[in-house]
Formats: sequence, structure tokens, C-alpha cells
Amino acid sequence: MRFRQILLYSIALSAAAADVKLLPEHIRVDPFGAVVERDRGSGVEAARSITLEAPRAAYVSCRIVVSLPEGGAYRLDVKSPLAADLFREWYHFLPASKKYVPDALVPAQTPHEARMPQPDNRIEKQTVQSYWLDIWVPAEARPGRYQVAVAVESGGSASRAEVEVRVLDAVVPGDDAVVMDHNSYGTSWLAAQYPSLVQRLGSRFYLSDEFFGLIHAYHRILYEHRGVYHQLGYGHGGKVGPEFAPRLEGWGKTKRVSDWSLYDRHYGPLLDGSAFASTRRGARPIPFVYLPVNPEWPASYLWWGEPGYEREFVNVMKELEAHFRQKGWTRTNFELFFNHKKRYKAFDWDGDETRFPGDMPYFAEYARLMRLAFPSSSPVRWVFRADVSWQMERQFKELAGIINFWVCGGGMFGWYAENAAVLKQRGDIVWTYGGTPTVEEPASRMAVDALRCWMLGVDGFVRWQTVLPGRDPWFNLGGGGETIVYPGDRFGVEGPLPSVRLKLQRNMLQDLALLNSFQSRVPPATLRAGAAQRFNGTRVEDWRSPRPKLADSDPLGWSNLSIGEAESKDPRFDQALDAAAWGRVRGYILNLAKEVRP
Amino acid sequence: MRARTVLLPLWLAAEAVAQSPAAGRLDEVARIASVMVDGDVARRIQTPRSVAAMLDPKPVEPWAASDNYEVNHEAFLATKKTLLRLARLCDSPCDVNLWMPVASTPPRVQVVIRNVHEMSQFWPWGALQQEMPAEMKQVQAEGKRIIVRRTPGMTSVLAPVYDSLGDIAGLVEVAGRERPDPQENVQ
Repeated sequence: MRFRQILLYSIALSAAAADVKLLPEHIRVDPFGAVVERDRGSGVEAARSITLEAPRAAYVSCRIVVSLPEGGAYRLDVKSPLAADLFREWYHFLPASKKYVPDALVPAQTPHEARMPQPDNRIEKQTVQSYWLDIWVPAEARPGRYQVAVAVESGGSASRAEVEVRVLDAVVPGDDAVVMDHNSYGTSWLAAQYPSLVQRLGSRFYLSDEFFGLIHAYHRILYEHRGVYHQLGYGHGGKVGPEFAPRLEGWGKTKRVSDWSLYDRHYGPLLDGSAFASTRRGARPIPFVYLPVNPEWPASYLWWGEPGYEREFVNVMKELEAHFRQKGWTRTNFELFFNHKKRYKAFDWDGDETRFPGDMPYFAEYARLMRLAFPSSSPVRWVFRADVSWQMERQFKELAGIINFWVCGGGMFGWYAENAAVLKQRGDIVWTYGGTPTVEEPASRMAVDALRCWMLGVDGFVRWQTVLPGRDPWFNLGGGGETIVYPGDRFGVEGPLPSVRLKLQRNMLQDLALLNSFQSRVPPATLRAGAAQRFNGTRVEDWRSPRPKLADSDPLGWSNLSIGEAESKDPRFDQALDAAAWGRVRGYILNLAKEVRP
Repeated sequence: MRARTVLLPLWLAAEAVAQSPAAGRLDEVARIASVMVDGDVARRIQTPRSVAAMLDPKPVEPWAASDNYEVNHEAFLATKKTLLRLARLCDSPCDVNLWMPVASTPPRVQVVIRNVHEMSQFWPWGALQQEMPAEMKQVQAEGKRIIVRRTPGMTSVLAPVYDSLGDIAGLVEVAGRERPDPQENVQ
């Protein structure tokens, strides 16, 4: 039965000579033409033509599937009246399932010359190569129909397909309904992922323009895909990377900033927006950035509880505020954020996911110190961020007026979701956090986190690790749950490559921004209900979890096991999701776009 | 026989490294640490509740001991400040880490206080407790400082920490690198 199903999917793509067909963005195919297991069941088949409806100031995407059963050289050409970006999909081998799934996207120029099997992907008997096609519809594009011609030639045979882009009048807002954040730690991973650069630059790597260019490239790719990028610049013991903080000298009352040069090379283009000048979204300063502050910086923990701690902290932070103000870096939220945990043995309190009530007073003390350093009249914005889980309900109350940026454990926040409105009412920012769906999950899984935030009235979502694809992502991928981009080094690209998952996420965020913009004309509850029903047949209330009995007991008695048992396990959000789920929501949004003027 | 096999190379390594000025300085800091770190206070750092969770591991709850790791702030801070002061005696970046034995058979040990550079030749990242390395057993048994070079480019000096009865309560590890790596452990 299963074999017959796979065969059926394969037949649609196979032909004797060179053949090209098109698939919607949410259907992935393997290098032999079969739809990957988790994307099956939608009834969609590859076809010679596809119609993509597109609001303006947005991308639309589809897959180009080239089939060459006998193998050999071929040439793929795309002719588009709108700006088009072509990417070859890399097939990652997953040793756990012994299957191939496309995810990394290698930029390809058109016309594109290639061979089947693709030599660098090293897949024996490969017969199919899929490509991701992005088409950018600028805000000023004229509504109407645009024809994109796709052709493949091999030897004497040729095959053609056509993408029709129907540009709508609607324009996707520049601001997202939900901020999708991508987190990472330090920069040492860059040296590991870009060995060619390290070999060329040697010991100069971390001081080179190429190094700072790499950092900016990661920000840029995520910004272009409607995301935000965070890089934490200090370790659990308080060591700060030299590119994440100004250099300090002296101690006690003489401690001060001695050198801004590396900090400014790193952050200057991000905080004034110039790092994004080349993007289609345009130059804009990053909205959030971690400060390098931790219990050991700028003041030494040696002086904690003594006058010297306050003096070192306040004096240096005053210099930071003055520097940011003089540079005009006033459109970014500078985050005071503590990531350390006592289990890592460097400090006696948990800054991250605080579990013990005795640790709460530390937050109040740091808020006091920051207020001494950053006057309330300063145009420089700072926020006090806390990533919370065990004690979040208690922290919402006890740290009111101290913490004003909450990043809450995504699963557990469902128990306390009514707090989103309460926190926002007092002016706080509310995000949730979690992981990154793996390549083995259905394409629509990429929509769940942002959609849940929107359903619950949450402002953003942090994917906690997004740049670590593992030791050998190309031929031995562990699933990709800690990455959403891949290093370009292997392909001679000094920067990250996007992934299929990143593209799916971007397209969904565009749609969500458009849907959110209808709130002035359509009751928000109606929009939410419409999206939930179409996505997975749920009601809005299904997107939060019922408060379990556990939530009324002391969190010190909780364990990961008891939390896991208390958390809601609704397969409609996971195993039962079908690949076309977001496509149905997009249809709903685009129909509204035709009816409703925001 | 096995102990001799293990200890002989350690002794040779110690002799060789002791010749270098950097190792000599680390050794000097370790000698001072042996006097300055208070073993009675060090024993009070981890709370009894946390110790109990650590000594009663549950296979179905692999993170329970970490989630319940807790310290007495006063004892931790007093010792941490001493270690931070000691690190200021080094000529180049170094860390002075505190290690305490875990009441278990076979003998285990846990790092109880680490410091800013997160340098150690013994701590596998994230371990709450671990098997006691042979070098630490030697310090526990003999009460003498030893110099260790397990990791290329890194030198550690282990020294005993005493309580008020004159018993060895734990150890300090004074760790330094020949060439400091500014990006290391920023994660």
C-alpha cells in the first residue's frame, strides 16, 4: 500500500526525457521524485503551470522540479518580469530515517547549468532536482497578471512550465504582527563554519572586515526574511567577547571605557541600519540587541554588595548611554538580560529561567543600578528582559515595574495566557520561546509558533538556537532543530544560506502581517477564528492550554516529567498537521484582501 | 600497580611544567589559595536540599538534580570573592575554580565555583558532578599541589583546601592558557 502511494506520487514527476514541473511551496520532493513523507496527503500534484496570488511588498514562492531519469547535463532558465531569485535545494541525508529531505538553499544564477545526479550532493541514481523560486513583488508593482516562464533543456529534449503571478492591490505592512526572533551565542561557531575564511585570514580572522561582514550577513538574511537576530555576547561565567562590548580599563572608581572600536565595527551598521541598505525591505536599525551586561560585566562580582560594584556599574553604563545617544542609536531596544544559571557554577543566582524565589531581589537591584546610569529623560531605549519558566506567574507579579520584557517558556505560557493582556496593558513586551521545527516535520509546522503568538496576543517568539546545523549538515543532518540557516562556505559564499524552513516562515509572516492589518475593519476575534479553523480545524481557545492542577502547587516541587505530563498534547498542532494547513489560511487571507481595505 | 602507572606520568608532567614561569606563577597562586580558601565555608555552599537531589538520581528525571541545584548565597559569595581575588594574582588571564568531593562510592567530585574565563581541564561542560580524576585523588590522598597538562596549551595547578580540623575539604584548580582565546566560552 505504502509503496503504491509513493509510486503514485513519483509517477507524476517522472518522464523519459528532461521534464520540468511546478509545485506549491509547501510540498517537498526527494531526489527521486517522491513527495517527502510528512508533506503527503494534500492531493497536490506537480503541474506545468501554477498560479500564485501575491499582495505587494511581499515574496511569493513555488518549487521548480526538474526530472531527468537518464541523467546528464541540463540547463534551467527562468524569465520573469518581476525580480526572481532561484535556489537549488540541497538534499540532506538523515541517517536516522535513511531518507533525503531538501532544506538548505544554494543560490543559482539563471540560466543555470547543472548535471543529474548533482555532483556535489553525491546521491547515487538521483533523478530529480528541485529548486526554490522566490519572486519579489515590490510595493509599487502594478496589480495584474505577470507570466514567469520556466524552461529546462537537456540534449535534444526540452520542457516548459509557467508561473502566473496575480498581483493584488493589497500591500503587506512593513511591521510584523509577531516578531520572529532567532537566537545564537557568541561568535566562535563562525570560525568552525567558515574554514576557508579562517585559512585565508589566519589569526586576523576575528579582527577582519570579513568577520564583521559575516555577523552582518546573518542579521541581514534574517531581516530580509522578516526576522530578528540575537547574538548573546557573554558566557555563563561572565566572559564577554571583545566584539560584544567596549574594552574597559581600571577598577573601582577609575573603571572606564578605553576603546569602542570593535564594538562600533560590530554594532554601528546594525544600530544605524546601514547594514540593511542592500535588502529589499530597506535600511532599518535592528529593533532589539543584547547589552553585554552580566554579573561580572561591567562591574566585577568581586565587589557585589559593596560600593565598588555600584560605582563600576553605573560609571561604565553611563558611558554606554552617552555613546549610544551621541551616535543617534535611539531606535533599538537595548536589553539588560541575564543568561546565567547557578547549575553552571559561576554565580549564586539564576538569571535565566529563575526557579528559586530567593533569586528575585537580584533583578530589583540591577533595575536600580540601570536607572542610575540611564536617566529617564534619555532618548536611548533600554528594556529589562527576563526569560521565565518555572516561576513566571509569580515573577509577573513580584517583578512588575522591574522586568518589562518577558520571554516566556512557550508550552507553559499556555497555562497563564491571560497574562499576555495584563502585561501588555502595563506596557510590557511579551514574547514566548521554543525550538525550531526540524526538517522531518510537515512544512506547515513552521507556522505554528508565530500563529500561536498571534492567537494569544503575544508580541514575539524566540527560536533559542538557529545557527548550529551540526558537524556535517550536508551528508549527516541530525534534523536541523538548532538551525534555520546554513553556512555558505562550502559553496564559496561568505555568509549564510537560507533554508526552505526560513522561506516558509517568511511567507507565513507576510501573510500574518496582512491578516493583522485587517483588524481595523474585521473584528479580531473573527480573524482569529477564521485562521484557526482553516489551519487545523481548531477554535481560538484550543491554542492555549487549560491550567493544570500542577500550576497551583509550588514550582519547587515540579520536575520536567510532571510539567510534561501537565502540558497539553493536542496532535492537531503536531503529528496531525497536514502540509497544506497554512495554504488554506493564505487562501482565507487573500480572499479577505480582495474584499477588505485595511 | 595501576595507581603507579597513572601517577608516574603525572609526576613527570608536573616536573616539566614547573620549569615554565607561567606554571610557576599558577603554582604560587595555588599555594596561596590553599591557605586562603576556607574549607568549612566551602562545605556550606551547596544547600542540603540540593545535595539530597544530587545523591538520589532518578533515571526518568535526568535534569532533576540540575533543576534543584541551589547554593547558600553567603557561603558562595564569600568563597567566590576569595577566588576572584586570587585570580588577580595571575600574570595573565586565569581562573581559580573550587572543587568539592561528592559523598559517593566510588569517589566523585563536583566543581562548585567556576569563574569568568570558564577555564578548566577537568570540567566537561554542563556536568553537575563527575568521577573524580586521578590527579584530584592524588591531591586528596597526599595533600600536595600538582601541576597538570592534559589539554594542549593549558596548565592547571591543583591544591588542597583545608577545614578548621586540618582535614582536606576540597581542592582549587588554578587554570591558565599559554595563549588566551578571547572568543572561547562566550556562548
